[in-house]
Amino acid sequence: MWRGRRRFPIIRLMRCSGTGSTGTAPRLRFDRGTLLLDGVQVRDLFTPDLWTWDGRVGAWRCDAIHYAAVCDALAERLGAAWRDEVPEPPPVHWPKVDLPHLRPEQEEALAAWRDAGCRGQVIMPTGTGKTEVALAVMTQTGAATLVVAPIRDLMYQWHRRILKGLGYDAGIVGDTLYNLQPVTVTTYDSAYIHMDRIGARFRLVVFDEEHHLPGECRREAALMCTAPMRLGLTATPERSDGRHVDLDHLVGPVAYEMPLARARGRTLANYDVVRVPVALTPQEQATYDACSRQIRHFITDRRRERPRYSWKDLCAESGADPAARRAQKAYYLKKSIEDRAAEKLRVLEDLFRLHAGQLTIVFAGSNMMAMEVSRRFLVPTILSHTPKRERLAVLDGFAEGRLPVLVANRVLDEGVDVPEAKVAVVIGGQASTRQAKQRLGRILRRTGTARAVLYEVVCEDTKDVQRSRSRRRSDAYARTRHRRL
Amino acid sequence: MLTREHAIVDYRDGRAFPDRLDRTRHAHYVGYAERMLAIYRSGIGRERRALHRDVETLFAEEPDCPLRRIRAFAKLLDDVSTYAADPKGEASRLRLRVFDAAARFHPLVRQKDRLFEHAEAETKAAIAADVGLEWDEIDARLYADVMTFQRLESFQGYPDAVALLSRYNVAQLQACLYAAERVTVRATQDFKTILRYAKLARLLHEVRRVGPSEYAIEFSGPASVLRQTRRYGVNLARFLPALLACRGWKMTAILRTPWKRRAVLDLSDQDRYTSTLPPPEAFDSGVEEKFAATFGPERDGWRLDREAEVLADGQTAFVPDFVFRHEDGTMVLFEIVGFWTPEYLAKKRETLRRFRGHHILLAVSERSLREGAEPGASVIVYKTAIKVAPVLAALEAIRTSLSP
Repeated sequence: MWRGRRRFPIIRLMRCSGTGSTGTAPRLRFDRGTLLLDGVQVRDLFTPDLWTWDGRVGAWRCDAIHYAAVCDALAERLGAAWRDEVPEPPPVHWPKVDLPHLRPEQEEALAAWRDAGCRGQVIMPTGTGKTEVALAVMTQTGAATLVVAPIRDLMYQWHRRILKGLGYDAGIVGDTLYNLQPVTVTTYDSAYIHMDRIGARFRLVVFDEEHHLPGECRREAALMCTAPMRLGLTATPERSDGRHVDLDHLVGPVAYEMPLARARGRTLANYDVVRVPVALTPQEQATYDACSRQIRHFITDRRRERPRYSWKDLCAESGADPAARRAQKAYYLKKSIEDRAAEKLRVLEDLFRLHAGQLTIVFAGSNMMAMEVSRRFLVPTILSHTPKRERLAVLDGFAEGRLPVLVANRVLDEGVDVPEAKVAVVIGGQASTRQAKQRLGRILRRTGTARAVLYEVVCEDTKDVQRSRSRRRSDAYARTRHRRL
Repeated sequence: MLTREHAIVDYRDGRAFPDRLDRTRHAHYVGYAERMLAIYRSGIGRERRALHRDVETLFAEEPDCPLRRIRAFAKLLDDVSTYAADPKGEASRLRLRVFDAAARFHPLVRQKDRLFEHAEAETKAAIAADVGLEWDEIDARLYADVMTFQRLESFQGYPDAVALLSRYNVAQLQACLYAAERVTVRATQDFKTILRYAKLARLLHEVRRVGPSEYAIEFSGPASVLRQTRRYGVNLARFLPALLACRGWKMTAILRTPWKRRAVLDLSDQDRYTSTLPPPEAFDSGVEEKFAATFGPERDGWRLDREAEVLADGQTAFVPDFVFRHEDGTMVLFEIVGFWTPEYLAKKRETLRRFRGHHILLAVSERSLREGAEPGASVIVYKTAIKVAPVLAALEAIRTSLSP
């Protein structure tokens, strides 16, 4: 092991507490997510665009993300003749390290990140152990660490993994809790809100599912933090808005990337994708068709006067026109009929019969549908409002095989550990490549030689079918079979 | 407060117009508001989604009502409601118990056969017997803790229909400010209240004098000098009710539209929004009020103005209680220090030291003086009320010391 071999650069913080108080010595401070520098002409020291003069407080200001670079530049040019008043995060001692040996590709990822200067992104498919890479980084740096996860389920999961692997009871900021510790887990939304207060408390920040970071607001979590070491983890860095290129600045360039094809059949199980079409009941179909007619008539009617009348216009006018609002409602009713088609419950019963004795996850398109499945088959749900204690009990019961089925909404889309599930059924949800990959990743964890199956239950002749097509564009769905039950 | 998802803002020609219900065009909304309040008042024990559905149904035939407005009303009504939230987690416990019991019968099928012999109805009846409730009752309680199914326990409500509509208008104004990058307030009075509440909302200020007794104060946050950010929009929205309670101001907010363009929101006390806060007290204490009354608006060539000057140094701002202006242009600031805690007095001393370049006349309560303190020439000590004669004498002393 290379612990103790100083492979991680140490940011040496120049502190001249012993040099006496020279009131005019350059001074660096942390101020609510930014750095303030006074007592110095920055034009002589820095490229001019890094700092901005802030007349409101009479000091130079820049984003906290530049902390490491600023320290280096000040140390190089001024030696010890400046004061660093940014609080120094304490080193962390791990009470009880109990981590599995890293697999070769995890070792590769770790080394690549280290060689990149302890700053950068690690891209690995779901189920290949990104969390273990992050835990290894934490043990080997001994750095005060902030872990940022997309949702509170994942936040709690990180808390458990850190407790189990490092014996450390991490603080939690989020889900109405605010318990800040040298090692803390949080969510992107909480990080955005609280970073101006906690941004100087960490030397390492881990962005789990980092594709959530570049959003217009959330990126500020990275900008307002002083941590010099940054690790971004994801299976799918791409964003439809193209903003993933900003991760180079917010986290660091890609340090390691492992393609999905390499993971398939090795760490992950082989899998099949089976599409099951269902028909609406005559009653549902009648309502569905009536809604379609209503919308069509409304739009045809409008196009007589305005040939370019579109759905967007309809939404814009719904506030001032009850007919437009009724058409809008008809559209939502159609979506809800697709989502909650009664036939889906019947197909689900068939699939449960077919896979009796195998752990099965059902992904619903809405909370309502998830609860409907739960009440019909008396199986537990994991939804965004599920209390923490129940969440744990359900996940444990599922992992131990006591509870055969788990119904989830989009909550479990990303990253939450669901051990040993071999069957997944998607009965609704949005069309998106990333969601498809993540969903597959959930059921593909290696368990012996059994093949995993993903069923996709879609209504015939509705929007559901289109969404399914769009899902299959992702290479993860390359071998879809069709089956009518 | 509303969320971003409730905001209705009309952006036209670079200006923002938040949704506002007015007394003429929306006179009929008073009727809607009364019926909405009635739905909630008579809705104790009903599910949240049923209340929301009823509110939505009220507006079904209303030509002028976007969906967001309906949702915003529901939010404002929910804000003053208490729902049964199941704090002991009874629904959660019931779920675990029922699902645990059902696990060994999985899958619950509609039709029994040789392989699968657990029919849905029989199993549910058996579990119900075990729990000791009717199955329908269990089914209703199973997800009773989920927001949409929670039942209304009590409704604090609004005083009347007009109050609900006023609240709606202010809430939309605040929701519009969530998109604000910075706000500039031009004020002629109530500086103390404006600056105090801005500080409470964790905003930074930049004070500029734009006329006699008129200041432009720009509010934003630390990172605002670095980039365009809506990060402080929530702080600005939180500050707004205090501003609405003041008089003599104009406000311009720079907003970033959903299409990443700039827009401005103009507002003034003439727009007559009803603040949730009471208007600022005219005087901080009875001593001040009494002195102002005794002195009168003008005496011996000195005009007396209340809170008319703002001194600012970085993020410390000081608004003296009174300003004396003499006909010849001499200006003397007058600050009254009542009976206060030692911490307050220390802070006040620090502030006064910071602005010692100005002519500040102090009136200090005898009880606030330190033991054996020797008050200087510009300090007047008072017992219960400030007398006019010594003040005039001190003012004249300052004036003659200035004249060549």
